[in-house]
Order: sequence, then C-alpha cells, then structure tokens
Amino acid sequence: MIVPLEHILILAGVLFFAGMAGLVAWRANVIMMLVSIEIMLNAVMLVFVAGSARWGNADGQLFALFIMALTSAEVSLALAMVVYLHRRRKTVDTDLFNEMSG
Amino acid sequence: MKLSLALILLLPLSGGLFNALAGSRLPRKAGEAVACAAIWGAFACSVLTFIAFSAPVTIEYASWLSDFDFKAPIALRLDQLSLSLTIMITFVCGLIHLYSVGYMKDDPSPSRYFALLNIFVFAMLTLILAENLPLLYLGWEGVGFCSYALIGFWYSDEKNATAGRKAFIVTRVGDTALGIAMVWMFQLFGTTAISELNGMGFLMPSGVITSLGVLLLIGAAGKSAQLPLSVWLPDAMAGPTPVSAQIHAATMVTAGVYLLARLSPLIGSSSTALGAIAVTGGVTALYAASCACVQRDLKRILAYSTISQIGYMVMGVGAGALTASTFHLLTHAFFKALLFLGAGCVITALHHEQDIFRMGGLKKRLPAVFWPFLAGSLCLAGFPGSSGYFSKDAILGATLERGGHLYGALFVIGLVTALLTAFYTFRMLFVVFYGESVHPMGAEGRSGIVADLHHLPPVMTLTLIPLALIALCGGFLDLPENFGGHGILGSFLAALPGFAPHAPASSATEFSLQIGAATISLIGFGLAWSRYTGPRRAESLRREEAGLPLADFLMNGWYLDQLYRVLFIRPYILLSRLLWKGIDEALIDGALNGLGRVTIRAGFVPAGWSTGRVATSLIALAGGAAAVLGYVVWWLP
Repeated sequence: MIVPLEHILILAGVLFFAGMAGLVAWRANVIMMLVSIEIMLNAVMLVFVAGSARWGNADGQLFALFIMALTSAEVSLALAMVVYLHRRRKTVDTDLFNEMSG
Repeated sequence: MKLSLALILLLPLSGGLFNALAGSRLPRKAGEAVACAAIWGAFACSVLTFIAFSAPVTIEYASWLSDFDFKAPIALRLDQLSLSLTIMITFVCGLIHLYSVGYMKDDPSPSRYFALLNIFVFAMLTLILAENLPLLYLGWEGVGFCSYALIGFWYSDEKNATAGRKAFIVTRVGDTALGIAMVWMFQLFGTTAISELNGMGFLMPSGVITSLGVLLLIGAAGKSAQLPLSVWLPDAMAGPTPVSAQIHAATMVTAGVYLLARLSPLIGSSSTALGAIAVTGGVTALYAASCACVQRDLKRILAYSTISQIGYMVMGVGAGALTASTFHLLTHAFFKALLFLGAGCVITALHHEQDIFRMGGLKKRLPAVFWPFLAGSLCLAGFPGSSGYFSKDAILGATLERGGHLYGALFVIGLVTALLTAFYTFRMLFVVFYGESVHPMGAEGRSGIVADLHHLPPVMTLTLIPLALIALCGGFLDLPENFGGHGILGSFLAALPGFAPHAPASSATEFSLQIGAATISLIGFGLAWSRYTGPRRAESLRREEAGLPLADFLMNGWYLDQLYRVLFIRPYILLSRLLWKGIDEALIDGALNGLGRVTIRAGFVPAGWSTGRVATSLIALAGGAAAVLGYVVWWLP
C-alpha cells in the first residue's frame, strides 16, 4: 500500500466531521443536509476500503458496495420526501417543521 | 336409625334449597307446602328415631375436615339431650311454619322467607346433633346468618336492616370467643369430639378449665343474649313475628344454653367457671325482668322475658342443675312460641299496632287468641300448676340446694325475678285483653273503638291450641315427687354425664319452696290485677304514660345501648374517622399524590428539551457521540 493507513484515516475523519458540521449548520436547507450525510457516508466507505486494502480482506470492499446501494436508495426516498414537504409548506427549512415538540 | 337421623337434617335442608332455587317460579302454595312438609317430615323422623332409640350412639356419615391429627367428620351424636331437643325443635318449628303460611300470606317474597326459615331449622339441628365442635360451629354460624337474614327480612326499611346487622355483629363477639375456645381445646386435648372432650377435663389444671369455661360462657352469652351481649335481642323484634317466635323459642337463643349443658362435664370441674355462669344467668334474669316491667311494645316485653328466662336456664347450668335447665328450656320453648304466635295474632288483628297502651278489651273480641295467650302467660309467670311453674321451681330449688353465699344470693335474685316476671306477664295480659277497646286506629288520644279487626286466617289461631295444651301440661314431663310424678325427663336424661339426679331435697324444703314460688306468682298476679283491671286501670295507664320514676332507665334497658355507644361505637367511629381522614386520605393518598405531582414537575424539564426540530436531535446526537468517543479515547484504559 502506497499511502499509509493513518493518512487515509485522517482524511476520512476530516470528511466525516466536515459532513457533520455541514449537517448541523446548514439546516435551513434539507438538500444540503442530505449532501452532508452523503459526505459522512463516503468517509465511512473510505475507512472500509482502506481497512480492506491494509489487511488484504475483501469484506471491507463488499461493505462499501453495500453502502453505495443503500445510499442510492436512501437518497431517492429522501428526495421524494423533500419534494412532498416542499409542496406542503413551500419551504425546505427544517427548523420550521417542529410539530413534534414536547 | 342412620337413615332417619340423616333425614332429620336433610329434609329441612332440601326444603330450604328447593324454596331458594325453585320457589319463586312455582305457585305460592307449592313452596309453602314443601317448607311445612320438610319440617313435619323431620319431626316424623325424630319421633321414629325416638322410638328406635335405646342408647346414645355416634353415627359417622362422611369425612369432612381431616389433616394430620385434626379430624372433624360429619358425625352426629344422638343421645338423650340432643334427641329431646330435636323433637321439641322440629315440633315447635313445624307449628311456626304452619302459622307463617297464614301470617305471610300477603308477603311478596314467600320463597325467600320459607327458604331461610327451613335453613334456620337445619342449622339449629346441625348444632344440636353435631358430634364435634367444628360441625357444631357450622350450625352455630348458620343459625347466626339465618337470624340476621330473617330479622332484616323486610330490609327495605332501614331500621329492620340495622336490627339484623346488630344481631349479627353482637353475636359475632360471642362467636369469636367460642372459636378461640374451640381451637384452644384442640390444642390442649388433640380432639374436637364433644364426647371425648367431656371425659378429659381432669387432665388440665383448673385455671385452664376456668378460662375455657369463661370463653364458652361468652360464646353462649352472645347467642343466648346474656348480659354483656344481650342488646341485640330486643331489637331483633324487627323481623316477622313467626321469626321472633322461632328465634326465641326453638332455635338460636337456646343454643348457648345447649352448648354450656353439652360441655358442662368438661367445665363443671371448675367451680369458678360455674359460678361465673350462674352469676351471669342470675343477673341477666333480674335485669331483663326489670326492663320488661315498663315496656310498651308487646314484642319487646316478650323479648325481655326471653332474655330473663334464658337467664334462669344459664343460672341452672351454673348451679349444676342440667336436668332442670333442659326442662325449663323445653317448657319455655312451648310457652314462648305460644306467646309470640299469640302476639302475632293480636298485632295482625290490630293492623300492625304493637303498643299495648293502645290495645285493650280484646278478650271479648279475640277469644281464640285470648285463651291460648292466657295459657302462655300462666306458664311464663310460673302460675301454680303450669309447666313454667315446675321447671322454674326445679332451677330455683337446685340453686338453693347448692348452698353457699353466692348461690344463696342467686336464689334470692331468682325469687325477685319470679315476682317481677309474674307482674309484667300479667300486666301485659291485662293491658292487652282487659278494659275497654281503646285502639284509636290512627286517631289521636284514646277515644274510638276498633270497629274492624283484621280477619285472622284460621291457621294462625289453630296452631295456638296444641302449643297451649302442651305448655299447660308440659309440667308432667318432670313433675316433682311430692306431686306424684316420677321425673320422666329426669330419668330419661339421667344416663348422660352431668345429668345424674341430685340427692333429693328434703320434702319439707321442697314443699316450702313450692309454696313460696306459688305465693310469689300469685302476688305478682294480684299486683297486676289491682293495677290494670277495674277502676284503677285508666289511672295506672295514664300515670305510666306520663312517665314513672326509673321508667326511662328501664325502658332503655338500663341504657346498655347508650353505654356501648359511648364505650365502643363512638371510639370506633372516631378511630375510623382518624384512619379514613387522617391516615388514608391525608397520609397515604397525600404521599401518593405528592409523588405524582413531583414526577409531573420533573417531567416538564426534559419535555422542554424536545423542541421537535431535527437540528436539536442532531446536535444531541453529535454531542452524545462526541461524549462516547471522548470517553473511549481518554478515559478507557
């Protein structure tokens, strides 16, 4: 392996926390939150693939493929819901959807 | 014998069950016929048993309670005492059932009445015939329940239901004592069979026997309405009159005397226990007789007279005169049933008037009631020649014979009671049946004459006749020797332990006692005659109505009810209120409600955190994840 595992883990960590920061900060727009979630998932996939290469085991790559399939399904569902929400409230700002408050 | 003895119990039971289950769906006549037939069938069986009877037997029918050493089979003990009582009970109750057919002919729920009446008889016969104490206790409680249900038979009137409850609760005090005695006896002797217990008294120190005797006395006092627990009987008049007759004459109140007589070989070895029994009986006799002298309610007079007469019987047991007590129990059953049934006739005829001061002159208008009632009164008053005269005399004689200061004093009390008894009996008789008819039929004052007496069904007056004949002639059962008798009942019972005849008193003592008792009865008769008949009647009645000194005291039964109200009921109510308001509502409910309030308040704090916005959840999730991560990295070793 040319790139050391540590570097990849650092990159994945940076990506993950960037995604999380975007998720928390950009809540005025659901689409941007979905993008942030994608970034976090990609960070996770990167760790899987790196681990797979490091120990010569195909399980991690398999997981990465699973996550890709899962993500595509999730995104299509989430976007459909976003369209629905937008039709109902003419907005995609999540702070305005607080009917579940205790 | 085995079959007929079982039938004595089973017939009333099945009659009662039939009426309870099917009585309301069948015509009225069918239920009445079954109820009466059941009791008369039981009477026929007891007569058959009597004919076949040769020696006491114990017959075991089935096993009932059995665990380790403890055995209480369904076994019946047939001996001279239980047999004579069984015959009396089935006969008297049979007549009362017939009478009830007339008395209750307009009542809307005859099947409930007859079912309870039949089961009442069944319970009493179980009590009488039981071989062991648990079975006896079953009958004892059955009698208590039936009396409760029958005293409060017309329960829609609050007063009647309260009287029923009072009877139940007061007798319960005695029942508890009996229950304790029963368990204790099993613990001491390892058996509950009465015939075995009776032979084991010598095994225990006299202190234990005395305690047992006192416990049994309390039990008997509850059932037989003796002094500390006598308050329920005057109120038990709330029930239908035939029920009163049955409670007073044949079933229920005689149970206590029977229990003491049954177990007297056991407790008889303790002279302290016997003394306590005799004192209770004697004082109760005097107490009730004094109260009866001023009562105005016809049934209350009879109720107090019952308490007084039972007092005599208990005193007789205390004096060791079991034969005399049994004799008085039997004669009393006949004449008291007669008096109550007669009183029921009077009350029905006068449209449910019970105040004797509003009666009068009924001798001419109700001759069919007057003559039997006169017979009953003569017996109750111990008029020379009547059955009550001989049986009361036997008890008094036995008390005197016993000797000593205590029994001497009790003998004097007995004589004073006899005087009072004669006085109040004839007062009742003369006020009700002599003078003019003054029943005002609802109008004020004592003007007006009863124009229309309620028509009495013939069955009601006809049942009085056999009772009157037996009551008058019952003395021949056990005539004293100087009257030419040879003690039929005495020699019949003599084989039982404890019933052996005493050494006969010298004929001079006996003769002077008989003369004395007769004189006392005649003095009472004379007093009542001079006060309540002829020209002085109106004056006496007016003065009694205005109130005599002491009258309030006696009228209210020496304020015993009020005493119990102050001693027990009021503290109990206060305690209940404290437990209800103070402990239950304030403490327990308060603590639980407070806990609930605190929980609700505490719930509002995290409720504020849930804003319903996605961002809040996300931040919380991120914070939580960071915390877990930080813990894993820095703290975990």
